[in-house]
Amino acid sequence: MKFVCLNCETYMGFEKVEKPAEGSLGVFFGCPSCGAKFSMVTNPGETQMVSSLGVKLGGRTVAAEPFEMTRGTLKDEALAGSGQMAAYLNEKIQSGQPVATASSEAKTAPNHGKDGEKSASGCPFSAMVAEMGLTSSSKPGAGATGMPDLTWTADAKERLERLPSFVKPMVQSSVEAYARKHGFKTINLQVMDDSKNDSNGVAWTPEAEKRLENIPDFIQPMARREIERIAKERGSATITAELMDDAKEKFMKFM
Amino acid sequence: MAIEKDLKTILGKLNYSDDAKVVQQITEQMRQVQARMAGIQHKLVVMSGKGGVGKSMTTVNLALALARQGAKVGLLDVDLNGPCVPRMLGMTGQSLTMTPDGAIPPVGPLGIKVASMDFFLDPASPVRWKGPMDVSPVWLGLMEMNVIREFLADVIWGELDYLLTDLPPGAAADKPPVIAGFIPDLAGAIVVTTPSEVASDVVQKSVTYARDMGIRVLGMVENMSKYRCPSCGAEHDLFEGDTEALCDALNVPLLGRIPFDRTLARTFDKGIPLLDDQYPTIQRFQEIAGRIQSLLDYKKVLAEKL
Repeated sequence: MKFVCLNCETYMGFEKVEKPAEGSLGVFFGCPSCGAKFSMVTNPGETQMVSSLGVKLGGRTVAAEPFEMTRGTLKDEALAGSGQMAAYLNEKIQSGQPVATASSEAKTAPNHGKDGEKSASGCPFSAMVAEMGLTSSSKPGAGATGMPDLTWTADAKERLERLPSFVKPMVQSSVEAYARKHGFKTINLQVMDDSKNDSNGVAWTPEAEKRLENIPDFIQPMARREIERIAKERGSATITAELMDDAKEKFMKFM
Repeated sequence: MAIEKDLKTILGKLNYSDDAKVVQQITEQMRQVQARMAGIQHKLVVMSGKGGVGKSMTTVNLALALARQGAKVGLLDVDLNGPCVPRMLGMTGQSLTMTPDGAIPPVGPLGIKVASMDFFLDPASPVRWKGPMDVSPVWLGLMEMNVIREFLADVIWGELDYLLTDLPPGAAADKPPVIAGFIPDLAGAIVVTTPSEVASDVVQKSVTYARDMGIRVLGMVENMSKYRCPSCGAEHDLFEGDTEALCDALNVPLLGRIPFDRTLARTFDKGIPLLDDQYPTIQRFQEIAGRIQSLLDYKKVLAEKL
């Protein structure tokens, strides 16, 4: 945040920070040209925002102590339960003064929410959620053949149905994504198997697959990914026994 | 009457300088985390997504298992609101020693160095922060993230073979994978689940989110897989889930299964942890720790066996 002296058309310089009251900061600025001075005073909410970043306004003059923020912001037992911001808002409301916009909105949110639902016929937060770019993947639990562009063969569907209910949606969406990526319209057992070992266009020869079995099973997924990465680096579309030899030689350097 | 000035024109003439030095300080904070953790060979996080699956118990026992194999181990408990590692290791009442160079962690069983929020709290006191947390949880999130950043930046771990970080429960953007993203050169995540379908459902989301964040998921530990009878030692099912199917679907190796063991749990509850390496459940943890070591050294395994 910067301040500009409109008279002198220059940035004002940071001078110092004071603490005029508990939960409040006074930050002083001065114009290097005309000498004009002013202080920006923060309320407890604004102070908290700066403090939560763990930074010092104006930069540090001494090095941070270990756990400076943790120790400095843990509430003492005596202070437990005292709501600083709540007290601030209460004080403003009692005295009839306006409080910050966000707080006012929070205070009156329930009514706005109801009105908003009636007039906009939807959740009042939907616009915000859409703005955030949240995406909800389609609900694959709706049925094995829920996606109209793909057809599941009876045996593939049966295999899917045999899976525990909590993994079914994940497997279904992953197989369907694989099928779309590779242009399949029908999902059969082969597509299911291939999707499981989707190697992004890298094929394994039977001999290479066999050699992978020499690796303990819990390391195989990692080994597969690593060897596929090496293949891609070399521009190879097929993992052969020769490529496995090269990979082995490369790994020998880590012995 | 004052002349209306065009701010855009004025700013166009001025050179911007970051007087508040906020960006500089945040960059410095991250640099300090990197410098502080430079002496740690393998940094691992233990996460679950679902609470109550025995994540801390698993983390503590994996740390002990690695220490038993002669490794220098650190354990960072960043479950700020429910820290329980010090109690489980019989370290309640100990604290970090503050020095100008940083905070020295106390040393627990088998030489494990431990840092935890619990060391800042009085017995039975919850974590309470100063400031207007009562009105906006947004500040609470910021504050907690910075406290975790201090745990990463300020603890003097020295040279360690392994640092295990016990993450709080949570599946996605509500912290754990984001915290893991703070840790420089993270070797990977160990995911803890129970065979319960509810736990599996949440755990799969946390794995997906962790991968989105670029975190390597090393494998899964199934906790409470069975109930071990303290009288006869027989094991019975507690849940009817299928962790193997979950691992298969996620393409994550199942590193091992740990039974619910009342005898072992009681010793950790009392802060007098059972350390006998011949005890069956502890042997299971030893096996899992061995698999984790192999996964971390997978290049050597590939060189030998490919």
